[in-house]
Amino acid sequence: MSLLELKNVSYTYSSGTPFEITAIEDINLTIEKGSFVGIIGHTGSGKSTLIQHFNALLKPTTGQVLLNGKDINQSKQSAHEARFKVGLCFQYPEYQLFETTVYRDIAFGPTNMGLSEDEIKERVREAAELVGLTDELLKKSPFELSGGEKRRAAIAGIIAMRPEVLVLDEPTAGLDPSGRKKILGMISEFRKSTNSTVIIVSHSMEDVASLAEKIIVMNKGRIYKYADVHEIFTKSEELAALGLEVPPVTSIFLKLKEKGLDVNTDIYTKEQAEKELLRYLKREGIAW
Amino acid sequence: MVRDITIGQYFPGNSVLHNADPRLKLVLSFVAIIFIFVCNNFYSLALVALFSVVAVLSSKISLKIILKGLRPMLILLIFTSALQLFYNKQGEVLFTSRYLTITTGGIYTTIFMVIRIICLVLVSSLLTYTTSPTQLTDGIERLLSPLKVFGLKNGVHTLAMMMTIALRFIPTLIDEIDKITSAQKARGANLETGGIVKRAKALLPIFIPLLVNSFRHAFELSLAMSARCYNGGEGRTRMKQLKLQTRDYILMFSMLIFVGGVIALNIIFESVI
Repeated sequence: MSLLELKNVSYTYSSGTPFEITAIEDINLTIEKGSFVGIIGHTGSGKSTLIQHFNALLKPTTGQVLLNGKDINQSKQSAHEARFKVGLCFQYPEYQLFETTVYRDIAFGPTNMGLSEDEIKERVREAAELVGLTDELLKKSPFELSGGEKRRAAIAGIIAMRPEVLVLDEPTAGLDPSGRKKILGMISEFRKSTNSTVIIVSHSMEDVASLAEKIIVMNKGRIYKYADVHEIFTKSEELAALGLEVPPVTSIFLKLKEKGLDVNTDIYTKEQAEKELLRYLKREGIAW
Repeated sequence: MVRDITIGQYFPGNSVLHNADPRLKLVLSFVAIIFIFVCNNFYSLALVALFSVVAVLSSKISLKIILKGLRPMLILLIFTSALQLFYNKQGEVLFTSRYLTITTGGIYTTIFMVIRIICLVLVSSLLTYTTSPTQLTDGIERLLSPLKVFGLKNGVHTLAMMMTIALRFIPTLIDEIDKITSAQKARGANLETGGIVKRAKALLPIFIPLLVNSFRHAFELSLAMSARCYNGGEGRTRMKQLKLQTRDYILMFSMLIFVGGVIALNIIFESVI
């Protein structure tokens, strides 16, 4: 069933002035319920503009955005509700923390929803547990946390709204490997436990390849391709033409093939790589 | 949105005004503003208007931008002309009713004020339109450097550096306001409805991160500056040395003609205001 649908959506910044820029053009897109979608594309390809349409932060210049079949830009009320149903977490969300304690910051979204005190408490605890923040940390000021903890606290603030769709813009940007691993683990955990739809924008092909099922490739404000991960990452030439890369594992197998090894090149996760290598070595009689 | 403000912005280009020495531009705009106020009859006003138009044209900045800069002045213009038109009781009476009296003096001053304010805005905005913030502060620092004699050894440089940094961060902070606002809206923050107190409170989630981020920027910048051995203005040399060139002397000379013209016309013709 389609959850989020964009019909002929275009958006122009500073419309009607000399600084007019069309950021996205004629976008038609359907996001299925429960799917995990990655969005990739060069800087300035319109990724950030696109995701801000999902929760009515930006109103399309032309076209429609439907959530569960209803136009979210119909009224102020519907736009406001869309913010809670589609949880959007911006890039570097840690710079938006403002409350006196981490607990209160996570509670900001649920409070704006007008929930009861008990309900808010339950949601904050649940979200904090999911992102791995201890009760002790919840009592601290958000400005005392480490970079990775801040990031997780900010994401918890979105998760606490229990959105039907979670949209994350570059959730791992600027984190060290262990922080990155935690965030990615957290995202899969969130999806498993809630069966929510997740959309992730990333520059890291590795992250996208290991998490997403379908991928949207954006180019110059348009959707260049929207297909299964498999189909996207097996066409490395097409990606290269757009200035994008395949995941590191894929490029290793492409190089091996180039060197004359008879290996499969449609590999994009570590697990697949391991299997394929073992298969190859076995066949060649090197391993057993 | 916040980013639609054009006053104080810099529009890079290549024109007589863009290339002129910033010190000279500062002094000349100051002189021009004084003489916009000095003129007191329609002949000298015409010269002021001509001067302003020539200045705008020689900056090669698109008329769209110039008009956009004038737009915020519209309310002020309407307000002052209404006041002048209805409350000035000098000269012949042209029209009168129970509440309103319109006189020739009123009409004259209205026209005078409107043209004067427009010229004022045009000339003063040209300074920032054609001078980059770095050049501007550099010019100010040089012009104020005689103050060093009064024991303000490092003060002038510090002041200029502070201005440069403040100007440099305006676009950065505007960008951040936009981002933080979107992020808090995404969490359901309601900024548009409610009474004044409620709305002021709703701004807290925007201002606190903005303040925290400003401090972060300040710390990072000071670190970056000391990493490059910055220690104040003393003994500091410049990559671009300011030196008056032939074109600057030509500009100065045209300004002299303008000033002389205004004074002469003021003496020859009778004052109307």
